[in-house]
Amino acid sequence: MEQLLAALFQLFEPTHLAFLFAGTLLGLIVGILPGMGGTSGLALVLPFVFTMEPSHALAMMIGVLAPTTTSDTFPAVLMGVPGTSGSQATVMDGFPLSKKGMAARALSAAFSASLLGGVFGALILSISIYYAIPIIMAFGFGEQFLLVVLALLMVGALTGDNLFKGIASCFLGLIIGSIGTAPITGDPRYTFDTLYLLEGVPLVVVGLGLFAIPEIVGLLDAKGSIAKSLNTKKGWFTGLKDVVKNWFLVLRCSTLGCLVGALPGLGGTVVDWIAYSHLKQTTKDTSQFGKGDIRGVIAPESANNAKEGGALIPTLIFGIPGSGNKVLLLGGFVLIGIEPGLDMVTTNLDLTYLMIWSLAIANILGAGICMGFSSQISKFTLVPYYILAPVMVCLIFFATFNFNRDWYDFIGLMSFGLIGITFKNFGWSRPALLIGFFLSTKVELLSYQTQAVYGLSFLTRPVSIILIILCLATIVLLTKQKFDKYYRSDFVKGKLTQIYYNIILLCLPLSMIWFTINLDYRANLFPISLSLIAFFLLTFILIIKIADLKNLSFLNYTIIKFARSNIFEIGGNFKIQIYYYLSFIGFLLMNFIFGFPIAAALFINIFILFHNRKAYVSSICISAALMVILWALSSLLTLQFPNGLIGLFIDLPWWLGGQLN
Amino acid sequence: MRKILILIIMSLFSFVSVASADVNFSGKTITWVVPFKEGGGTSRFARFIQPFLKKYLPGNPDVQIMHIPGGGAIKGSNYFEKNAKADGTFIFGSSTSVIVNVATGNPLVKYNLSEYRPVVLLPQNTHWFTRSDLAEPHDLSKIKERKLVLYALKTPASADLFHIWIYDKLGIKGAKPIPGLSSSGGYQAFLRGEIHLSSHGAANYVKKVKPEIEKGKVVDLMTLGIIGADGSVSRNPLAPNAPTFPEMYEKVNGKKLEGDDLEAYYAIGAAWSQASKAMMLPKDASDEIVKAYRDAATKMTNDPEFKAKALKALGPFPLIIGEEAGEIIKKAAVFSDTTKKQLNAALKKHKFTYRVQ
Repeated sequence: MEQLLAALFQLFEPTHLAFLFAGTLLGLIVGILPGMGGTSGLALVLPFVFTMEPSHALAMMIGVLAPTTTSDTFPAVLMGVPGTSGSQATVMDGFPLSKKGMAARALSAAFSASLLGGVFGALILSISIYYAIPIIMAFGFGEQFLLVVLALLMVGALTGDNLFKGIASCFLGLIIGSIGTAPITGDPRYTFDTLYLLEGVPLVVVGLGLFAIPEIVGLLDAKGSIAKSLNTKKGWFTGLKDVVKNWFLVLRCSTLGCLVGALPGLGGTVVDWIAYSHLKQTTKDTSQFGKGDIRGVIAPESANNAKEGGALIPTLIFGIPGSGNKVLLLGGFVLIGIEPGLDMVTTNLDLTYLMIWSLAIANILGAGICMGFSSQISKFTLVPYYILAPVMVCLIFFATFNFNRDWYDFIGLMSFGLIGITFKNFGWSRPALLIGFFLSTKVELLSYQTQAVYGLSFLTRPVSIILIILCLATIVLLTKQKFDKYYRSDFVKGKLTQIYYNIILLCLPLSMIWFTINLDYRANLFPISLSLIAFFLLTFILIIKIADLKNLSFLNYTIIKFARSNIFEIGGNFKIQIYYYLSFIGFLLMNFIFGFPIAAALFINIFILFHNRKAYVSSICISAALMVILWALSSLLTLQFPNGLIGLFIDLPWWLGGQLN
Repeated sequence: MRKILILIIMSLFSFVSVASADVNFSGKTITWVVPFKEGGGTSRFARFIQPFLKKYLPGNPDVQIMHIPGGGAIKGSNYFEKNAKADGTFIFGSSTSVIVNVATGNPLVKYNLSEYRPVVLLPQNTHWFTRSDLAEPHDLSKIKERKLVLYALKTPASADLFHIWIYDKLGIKGAKPIPGLSSSGGYQAFLRGEIHLSSHGAANYVKKVKPEIEKGKVVDLMTLGIIGADGSVSRNPLAPNAPTFPEMYEKVNGKKLEGDDLEAYYAIGAAWSQASKAMMLPKDASDEIVKAYRDAATKMTNDPEFKAKALKALGPFPLIIGEEAGEIIKKAAVFSDTTKKQLNAALKKHKFTYRVQ
């Protein structure tokens, strides 16, 4: 009780609040930039933490971390680009709402859901921190393994319109995730002796490539602005009302978010999808999902903000970071002398409470500011997309680079961009691919670890039994999922292209088998078994596709029928999208020649002027602003942007790609 | 008497700084390349030293830390090898993994660490422990009787490789690694009762393991031991009752640690313990520059602010400065053929396909 009061006193100290507020503002700004998120925000603050008063530094760090999952809603809803991995599911319905001109409604619903989720998460945390230790200790390798299986099964609910294509996407993701050093033996797998692939492809690159690039290309294809008109005045209150109406959903999803966030290892990447699939499974009328259902915004937003509180539990108690930004947070803790450990729930409980409640306050502040400015910022969606798109491309490139600071990430980004565009156009599931990719290493390691420690006996442990029941329940729900019985593929054009694409996809498992067959069995068992399953799934889909093309009669049997539904996808104008994609490749080449900052300025000007010669004022202003931002970031973070060949011939300032010092 | 001694030392230092007066970094920016992410151990080490370096280097230059993570620290290290100037404006933050990459002959490594000029080494030490229901303190006999002794192993290509050798030399036949576990993940599993043997570096030992030992749940087994400049091994002051690895070796095998085994122990000790974190200059740095840096480091260790904070930020082991550091790096970065053979034999015995090159 004493500790509670002490924490309360410190919470409302003016200096504490001031630093919290400053951190929150920074976090908001960083969150708006797609791909930046809390990790980059903390990276920005970390250099200064060392010189600050510890309690101020703490407030600042919490402030930065808290609102990024709130403000990342802006790019998710307005541009269809997830700002952080936590808002990928928000895009599903948030962006369609924007397209309908209901951006303000979506935003205010998202922010209030986010706020409630954050506060509720903090509340649950204040109580549950007492019981955290036994719960976390009950999660051994076996339980963690089942948890990952459950997460993969849950994604099955999101696998799109064709069950088999969805599962195949998930397996392709698992295969891509197994690229890199084999965790058991240390053998390089599928790396072609390159340094870049040794640690696998970075998650940020996969996420941005799969989700951001296809959206930009798709919008350029659609031509015009994101929304045709805005309905801001009404939207505001409608959004609030939506949240009030769905209060129980907010409650469930924030509980879910808090729980998943607290589980060690699973991290925040999946929490929004889990909330989304929970929503889908518990709703009767699912017809509007993916087309602009407001509940599709409320569920993930309340969950992903609640998770930040939950994720503090393993970070504080065990010093195990649940995600990238928690790694940095831990680093900051150590700098200011906070040592994670069981002390955090015993002797240092006041500090823990101070953090939890600072998180809640920062959430309220952040959501309030976002809401206040949402109608202003929604006007973004009226800006012609040919102006936004090049800026977005530059931002995505920057975000990609900032994460790893590696040239090759650009190539990885463009490759996954191509995969994203084709997946989207040909009806394969991008979320399933991403989740498979993310959980791949965990599946492999946990299965080995579980086997080594328990054999099969882990199945009889109490928590395992609960998880197995949950898994079975998910499977039952999956089989009940409705599929379009009256699917007709007659009006789909370009069926042959989709069949060829299917054959190209077959190359991945086959080449994986080819390159890993000679390795130690502990290094190739996992990728080869995945590849075999993926091979059979893809072959099966290919057969169904060909049968559909030839209109063979065996497809009319009921068992086969649901495999046929949505076997072909009616995509957008694929060719035009590829042209736009190629212009991004042009930007990549410019990067090689001029280095990132100059290439970005050139690309923005060329792209905008190509579409509208009269827009030179905007193009020059935007590129100038971008240069200033890049320069500031470079000096703050000691960043050297990717330098081009030009730096070899001309003496440039350091941040433009010249020589150091 | 004491005052006079201090005066003498101080005058010595002032003499030293006059001697290196021709090196001056005033107005320059020094770039400290750290091949890891922000917030990691090497990054924290660099950040802690950074302000003192600025304070004591001639000309008080700005020191900026440049993080280049990736490729298991190879990317940043290769970057440094390729781009660093030898004029003292570039320094490198090394760690055990940077050294192990070289010592085990990773083909992607393009940096020749053994020729670098080390300024400061920050030693670490490894502690081994087990659950109190599995063994008596400081006694391996019950562990050796077990058919299955599980322990955490990140990958055989990391510094955890040394665990395989250590357990092999102590004759723990049931030792079986659980792959893919970092030391903190492994400690978690250990607390959950899933693995039997666990180890931690000194800092985490104090923070996380000591409380459990006090509760009676965990018992000390041994430490790697602190290797002196003359090759003598002394006990770790954090666990003064725990035997060192050479003591344990003698107890288990009935003979002194010597010959090839001792050579391998020194190599492992240098890479794992003595050069756990290091600050280095490029290989072409002149003697004057190296001296200026070493002088600044010596002054830093006498700074009252440094003394006040060092125990908490860097741990209990004193920094190693000077020529001795160079010898340690050479030992750590270049494994002799017999040491490599030893490691590979241990790898083979435990059915690993990975080999030290």
